[in-house]
Amino acid sequence: MGVTKEDVESAIAAALSPSHLVVTDTSGGCGASYEIEVVSEKFEGKRLLERHRLVNTALAPHMAEIHAVSIKKALTPAQAQPQPEPAADKPQA
Amino acid sequence: MAFSMATAASSAAAASLRRLPAPASSSCSSRGGVRFPPALLLRPRSWRVVSSVSAALSKLSEAAPVPIPQEPAEALPGEDALPARPGVYGVFDPAGDLQFLGISRNVRASVEGHRRKVPADLCASVKVAVPEEEAPDKSVLTNAWKSWMEEYIAATGKAPPGNVAGNHTWVGAPPQRPADLRLTPGRHVQLTVPLEQLIDRLVKENKVVAFIKGSRSAPQCGFSQRVVGILEAHGVDFASVDILDEEHNHGLRETLKTYSNWPTFPQVFVGGELVGGCDIISSMAENGELAALFQK
Repeated sequence: MGVTKEDVESAIAAALSPSHLVVTDTSGGCGASYEIEVVSEKFEGKRLLERHRLVNTALAPHMAEIHAVSIKKALTPAQAQPQPEPAADKPQA
Repeated sequence: MAFSMATAASSAAAASLRRLPAPASSSCSSRGGVRFPPALLLRPRSWRVVSSVSAALSKLSEAAPVPIPQEPAEALPGEDALPARPGVYGVFDPAGDLQFLGISRNVRASVEGHRRKVPADLCASVKVAVPEEEAPDKSVLTNAWKSWMEEYIAATGKAPPGNVAGNHTWVGAPPQRPADLRLTPGRHVQLTVPLEQLIDRLVKENKVVAFIKGSRSAPQCGFSQRVVGILEAHGVDFASVDILDEEHNHGLRETLKTYSNWPTFPQVFVGGELVGGCDIISSMAENGELAALFQK
């Protein structure tokens, strides 16, 4: 049996202590494809690439069995608050 | 045979006139050695060949050349010499050889466009003929163009270099996607440098590089397709590498994952640094970060 939604959630929760986390199983039941939205303080000051790396690292033990992970959102709490203009003030890489 | 080719060339010119709005550059082509049927000679009409008053279109050889200043900052000769009106024109090089025969809804704008785009040693002077009527029928213009083209071909036995099919010096090439880059000449070639080094050089020499599955014109993966679409929509001039091309990019997939420390494809590099894959590029496109990144 593959990875469950709970596995993914707990792996990310343990690594990133997110203030908001939504994991959606988009595989249609086989547990191989997920969409993820995370809000975490640990993203502060990090580029999107680095944020995704944190998520990927957290999921690394499960990755062998997961076919696809799509990180829809990786925001800091500050960015998650004012929804209208996300990340507009973030300095460019 | 000769007749059908001539018809094709003239209808292409006519079509381009129909398509293009007023200040558009000319677009007409003719194949090398094309002959126009003598039946298509010009009807008598009132023509103003610049610098000489004539009731009918004068011969190309008899029209007076208008010099084009070599210095790009220098203004073109005045409107009476080079009118912003529909007409035909021939551009000559410094030796006085005809380089290109054009047809335009705004001769002045077309010549200005050539002057900016074409090497200066091909643009020394221009001969212009404009019909007296304000809005001449396109057949008037194409007939004039044909007449000058015929005259030139009768004299030299060939079309002007700029009018030969495949020459894109004067009229823009059809929009074309650049080819995908290849890391190696082929699988049989023994590499003398590690693949990492080739990747490193590639991403540093090209401002934007997308490593994708499939070619950029036919990506073989939905995520790659989306990234190509986003980059093209932003008007980014980017290089692409097909990681599935085992012949020319053998081993790239595994090596690139290590090089970039990123597990998936596509991967987009800007200025030698990985920016991200499909998710990141999509998010950045949505919130405007991507546009900001490419503006620099």
